[in-house]
Amino acid sequence: MENTDFIAPNDVATVCNQIDRLGEKAHLLAGGTDLMVAINLRRLRPEKLIYLGQCGLDRIEVANQSLVIGATATLKSIIQSEAVKRNAPLLVDACQSIGSPAIRNAATLGGNVCNASPSADGAIALLALDTNVTIVSTRGERSVALKAFFTGPGKTVLEKDELVKEFIIPAATANSKFGWAKIGQRKAEIIGIVCVAVNMTVEGGKCQNVRIALGAVAPTPILATKAAALLEGKVLDAQLIAQAAQTAADEISPIDDIRASAWYRKQMTNELVARILSGE
Amino acid sequence: MKHDISLTVNGDTYHLSVEPWRTLNEVLREDLNLTGTKLGCGSGDCGACTVMVDGKSVSSCLTLAVEMDGRQILTVEGLAPSGETLHPIQEAFIEKGAIQCGFCTPGMELSALNLLKTNPSPSDAQIRSAISGNLCRCTGYNKIVDAIAEAGRRIKHPSKARR
Repeated sequence: MENTDFIAPNDVATVCNQIDRLGEKAHLLAGGTDLMVAINLRRLRPEKLIYLGQCGLDRIEVANQSLVIGATATLKSIIQSEAVKRNAPLLVDACQSIGSPAIRNAATLGGNVCNASPSADGAIALLALDTNVTIVSTRGERSVALKAFFTGPGKTVLEKDELVKEFIIPAATANSKFGWAKIGQRKAEIIGIVCVAVNMTVEGGKCQNVRIALGAVAPTPILATKAAALLEGKVLDAQLIAQAAQTAADEISPIDDIRASAWYRKQMTNELVARILSGE
Repeated sequence: MKHDISLTVNGDTYHLSVEPWRTLNEVLREDLNLTGTKLGCGSGDCGACTVMVDGKSVSSCLTLAVEMDGRQILTVEGLAPSGETLHPIQEAFIEKGAIQCGFCTPGMELSALNLLKTNPSPSDAQIRSAISGNLCRCTGYNKIVDAIAEAGRRIKHPSKARR
């Protein structure tokens, strides 16, 4: 990492100017829990590090029935936030399953999403929560639905000069139901073999706005849209739950890798979706 | 290009000129000679490098020294600043046999502090969760869990220390 230079802008406009000027030479450093690993393992030698810890993007607040979480809010601050517990408790569960206390004290939600890992717990929960991403650059701001944000493993729609500013999450209502499940080789500090996040509203016993997000079973976090459609407008029962869980497993094409086989991932997707829908 | 930073470590303020690629772990160990903080995996998995920054535990191997301008850092050396009277966490680790080779101990103790400063009466599960990012290859963890529970009791009731 010799010859790396470091800047710590105090505002977002300066960050944008620097990214615009430096292009691919620039690497954004927030919590450092992924980037610094790559640097320590000599996989990455950035020419310029732009530190985001001082540019004021760590706010967590409620505005217009939405929860707004700044890109550099730490996982710990999200877990502790009363606003997040009230308005997006699913995200609290997902963030709690990432890393260890020391990692969660440093790691940011923006980093979890922008690294675009198919198994990013925070991103999977945000996908189930129908999150919009606010992106900023010297050209202005734009908003992208998170389901359209990922384009492949480690790849997003972000242009070279763009920065994720914040996440806009529709606030939970009294009728919101949610569930989070993750399977890994141990409970802490583990990349999920399969992660499932479910979010829906239940009105008069009927499921509505069902979103089932799956992690580590595709090149990006994905929505099991066929399984969700099966549940829409219906009352949950054992037969419907089994059918939806099987549909979710059928609509994914996971791969064999170092952590698990494709076969196991399909079995566990079925199992975890069924467990969440059964309220287990 | 070097960057000038001022940071407080264990109550002492240092003005340093550091290259931007150097980690907090390297600067603590090599420049300040505070070798209690260890370097293990370099990837945030083992917890041997855990220190407190502004009251929160972080992996010093994943933190650049230049990020630390104006920050307050606590290392294991700061737990017992006099070098004579030990911190209740350290006393409990010794009493309960929670130290064998000792390599994980500084990180374990700071993760314990990160828990006990807000929750001096943790459950077994809360203790295990608090040290879930700290690997120990000697003790089998049970004695460390016992020690952290005991440290919590000592912090809550200092008079019962040294029973």
